[in-house]
Amino acid sequence: MKRGLVVKRILIVDDAATVRMYHRGILESAGYTVDEALNGIEALEKALETPFDLLLVDINMPRLDGFGFLKELRRQPMPQPPAIMVSTEAEARDEVAAYRAGASCYLLKPVRPSQLLAHARLMLGEANK
Amino acid sequence: MSAFTPQPDPGHGISSEDFLKFREFFYRRTGISFEASKRYFVDKRLAERIESTGTGNFRGYFTLLRFQASGEELQLLTNSMTVNETYFLREEYQFQCLVDSILPEIVKHKDGSDPIRIWCIPSSSGEEPYSIAMYLLEKWPQINEWDVEIISSDIDTSILRRARQGRYSVRSVQYVPARWLAKYFKGIGDEYQLSDDLCQAVEFTRVNLSEPGDTANYRNFDVIFCRNLLIYFDDLSRKTATDTFYEALNPGGFICLGHSESMSRISSLFKVRKFPEAIVYQKTLEAR
Amino acid sequence: MGLVKGKAAQPAGNTTSKPASCEELAAGLESADAAVRRHAAREIPACADAGAALVSRLKREEEIAVRAAILTALIRLDDPVATAGLADCLRSEDVALRNEAIEALKELASSGDRAGAVPPVLASLLADPDPDVRIFAVNVMESAPHPDVESWLIEAIERDSHVNVCATAVDLLCEVGTEAAIDPLVRLKARFASEPYIQFAAGLALKRIREI
Repeated sequence: MKRGLVVKRILIVDDAATVRMYHRGILESAGYTVDEALNGIEALEKALETPFDLLLVDINMPRLDGFGFLKELRRQPMPQPPAIMVSTEAEARDEVAAYRAGASCYLLKPVRPSQLLAHARLMLGEANK
Repeated sequence: MSAFTPQPDPGHGISSEDFLKFREFFYRRTGISFEASKRYFVDKRLAERIESTGTGNFRGYFTLLRFQASGEELQLLTNSMTVNETYFLREEYQFQCLVDSILPEIVKHKDGSDPIRIWCIPSSSGEEPYSIAMYLLEKWPQINEWDVEIISSDIDTSILRRARQGRYSVRSVQYVPARWLAKYFKGIGDEYQLSDDLCQAVEFTRVNLSEPGDTANYRNFDVIFCRNLLIYFDDLSRKTATDTFYEALNPGGFICLGHSESMSRISSLFKVRKFPEAIVYQKTLEAR
Repeated sequence: MGLVKGKAAQPAGNTTSKPASCEELAAGLESADAAVRRHAAREIPACADAGAALVSRLKREEEIAVRAAILTALIRLDDPVATAGLADCLRSEDVALRNEAIEALKELASSGDRAGAVPPVLASLLADPDPDVRIFAVNVMESAPHPDVESWLIEAIERDSHVNVCATAVDLLCEVGTEAAIDPLVRLKARFASEPYIQFAAGLALKRIREI
């Protein structure tokens, strides 16, 4: 299969159902395929099962938070997708912690559709689209 | 019929937004997720429960489900949404994972004089522990180098009696290969009797997983099979059960859950491990 | 070699051999040995002042299995000290500890016979000056069977100035909202007219409430 022709797959990791629906709507309308997980453990299960091209990860989640998920995923011997971390927390320490955990970029909630798509395209190497 | 055909009974009309709302709630609470194609199945079960509870419509029923302090209705609904049928070699890929991936890792860290211990809960009528026993004998060549103990537990003493007896219907053995059937079973009328050797190979015990006292001395296990049980527990019982498993496992030991289950609803005590055959959960080697 | 019949129960380790006194358990909670700490956490709820000792240890504990045992013990304990201690953890900088506390508070809030101390604490958390704490308080309500949940959520979307507190409350109103939430949701949409997420979430909540 030729890489460029394959629809890019994005995993949304968030415990809030409405947030998942909102992000899913935005990403699907741009032609991406989306899957969802409601915490870090489920995200890890899904990411180990099938490869994703991009992860959209909330920080505060039960059982395994976004930092814990990314740290664990980054340890796995597998191709590593970029991760956009989203959070409600404005403080700089969270942004630093996000990059340290292996995030590629950090967005504050609530995210605007244009902002999410711009970052997704950038992370997926489709910046010229 | 389209999957989105409304319920014939107008009193139970469940709208598509109701369905989505219910789906999110049920997924969050139980980890069971329904595709849109299951709409008819879900609506039917919901209509039955609306009827039995006398709540009249979806809205009244959802309020009961969401706000009932005992969580009893959620359990009843979960029961009606899941088909818990047991038979030999059900979810066989996990047994494959046991012999091809899990046991090879276990024996790497194990002293040859210690037995490998496997705990299988719930035992139900015994199909699962006996399947493991047969699988080990048939598919794990190193069985001749190790002692393996299989312990299987259930809360229900009458089902334990049936498990010890080892008598099964045709339906129950339908996926057992003919060669294994001839080797380990004897046909009696239209039933199958498991051989004494196999019946004797499994130790059956009565255990209530929510009762820490019952399991305080359950120790030194290398693998725990706990399939399709924890989905029926409330949060605190699930926590108690996973604490019990943690205590019962050796460092580096594994837990196998059912096909539709995930540790993500339960606990972060265990590491997610991906093997070619299955995803399982591991107590880290450093833990003690 | 091969299949052998084993015994389920194994000789217990020294940690379970004799009942320990409350002093021993309190000391055990601070032991260097994680297995001893775990055991102490499980046994200590029977002792007076267990809540304070457990919360104090929880904040410093690094071993995940010991944390799990402490959290289960606090849930079983279900007293005001345990609840207040968990609520205090919501302010922690440790993301994992915060989420563990939210989860434990959820469980305290979710079961009828154990729902004692949480609702008053929730009400005060919802008025906390830190918006993150208010968001966590809404998270705790997620599974609470308390009859006031909807009115608390309505209060939040009517008064809270922080968009993410409102967003979190609307998320839950999509599940529990009734006709009482319609006007507040409409006002919320007007208040955050340029915020696409609020438009989406409040619109969804309204759709679900109106569609019978």
